[in-house]
Amino acid sequence: MIDKVIALYEREMKRFFRSRYMWVMILAQPIMWIIFFGSSFSQVPKEFLETFFHTTDYIAFIIPGELSVSMMMVGSFSSMSLIQDKRLGYLRRILITPTRKSAVFYAKVLGGMTRGIIQVPIMILISLLLGVKYNVDWLGLLEWIIGLIFIGIGFSSLYGIITANTSDWQAPGVVSNLLNLPLMFSSTALFPAAFFPSWLKLVSDGNPLTYAAELGRDALLYGDPPNPLYLLYLVAFGIIMLVIGTIVIEKYLTVD
Amino acid sequence: MESAVIVENLTKNYGDVLALDHISFEVKHGEIFGLLGPNGAGKTTTIKILTGLTKPTSGRAIVAGFDVIKQPNEVKKRIGWIAAEVIVDDDLTAWENLELQAKLEGLNDWKDRASELLKYFGIYEFKDKQVGKFSTGMRKKLEMSMALLHSPEVIFMDEPTIGLDVSTRKALWDIIRQINKDFRVSVLLTTHYMEEADMLCERIAIINKGRIIALGSPAELKEKYGTDVIEIDYEGKTDQKKLEKFGEVIVYNGKIRIKTNNAENIIADVLKQLSDLKIKAVRINKTSLDTVFLTLTGTTLEEGEFDARRFYMTIRRARR
Repeated sequence: MIDKVIALYEREMKRFFRSRYMWVMILAQPIMWIIFFGSSFSQVPKEFLETFFHTTDYIAFIIPGELSVSMMMVGSFSSMSLIQDKRLGYLRRILITPTRKSAVFYAKVLGGMTRGIIQVPIMILISLLLGVKYNVDWLGLLEWIIGLIFIGIGFSSLYGIITANTSDWQAPGVVSNLLNLPLMFSSTALFPAAFFPSWLKLVSDGNPLTYAAELGRDALLYGDPPNPLYLLYLVAFGIIMLVIGTIVIEKYLTVD
Repeated sequence: MESAVIVENLTKNYGDVLALDHISFEVKHGEIFGLLGPNGAGKTTTIKILTGLTKPTSGRAIVAGFDVIKQPNEVKKRIGWIAAEVIVDDDLTAWENLELQAKLEGLNDWKDRASELLKYFGIYEFKDKQVGKFSTGMRKKLEMSMALLHSPEVIFMDEPTIGLDVSTRKALWDIIRQINKDFRVSVLLTTHYMEEADMLCERIAIINKGRIIALGSPAELKEKYGTDVIEIDYEGKTDQKKLEKFGEVIVYNGKIRIKTNNAENIIADVLKQLSDLKIKAVRINKTSLDTVFLTLTGTTLEEGEFDARRFYMTIRRARR
């Protein structure tokens, strides 16, 4: 089983790294976020930024948030890749060998997660080049990366689950529109919860993106010791989605 | 020795559409066996069941000595599959495609065999090229190498030459015959080309609307069901009774078809009887699997396809 997952994961990665468009996307996306979105508060007085974001640099504030959102968005790649394999008949080729459906699913989930995790060093490097200053807590950083891996696994699984029995190209796009925006805005990825209405605060407290963003800020900005409960929440989210995904995929994944 | 494939009373429903209706046949070891029929006759469904992708509604199927329902993984270890549209990963090289196939089959020592197979098919020198740049013929050869990599007992080929031009098709027939002999692998193929079944298969099951309506070697089938057919495209009205003295008459869709044993000798008389009609074309079809199919079903294979399309749409609707 594990050999097959690795072999299929290698396939995902080879296809991914051989695509020129992938490199464009990976490099362009962080730059867009930093330059366009990050600049939106550049004329705001420093005292305001300090009270509102607990830092004087809004770019530094959104980078952990953006990377958390990225881990969610790349989840749609797992379902796109799965649908492509159905459409081209490749899934059939795989399932005619003694390979479980869940092995295919794990490879797609890991593939989606890797696409997201690759953006972490690139984004941080680019922000450093643009003069963003960090105050790093190294244990916190490690904890945050682990958290991102699990949130990536969780969202990749979720996407795979929703599109298990369709071969419609449109499905991942529709699902990502329905999921990504509400989850992004109902988390603290872009803005702190301090000024949220109480209902949004409630949603935000259940949203895994919030915990990934907060872990990242503790690790990169505030230099605070890591909060193990936040990490636990993300790990639990990832594992629960993966388990549900395994059951759903074994039962409902269709070859065409 | 037990046969390579044994199918007993296999039945498959999609909703209330009956895709397979109690079909039974056997593929002997080392044989090239053909399932011949129009699109939608149930060929692909049969292959899906035999390769463990779909469960039958009822019936039994033994492939390479194992029950496809009870031990699908044992079956999957012993079968290969060639798709109608060539299915390989275009982003990978030929060698990487083989490597992935080997790992999915759970093989350890596969490299020597992979090299041998690539040499056998004459594509070894391209092994490190991306498959997306290959011609269809080369991709097909790579797919064959992948199907043979784990030394399967049976290879399933679903419409192996569909959409290929005539010369590529003939070359592929040679390859199929050759691998059948050289690798001692049994082949179960589906086709809707009469000529392909005739040229390639030792035995054929003719399948129509989910039922097997005849089974035997091409020679046996022609002997048993074959006749000459005089086919007349016409306009106007005619009384088919006056033609019945020449043989069985089928009128369908602007065509009169008369089954006879000596078409050349009677055609002049037939045309004399039809002097009141506007005759657009006359053809004589000598005994072939085409006329066998006509005898068995009352329509030609192409006309069967038309019905099959409607049938297929019903299945698709039933699945959703």
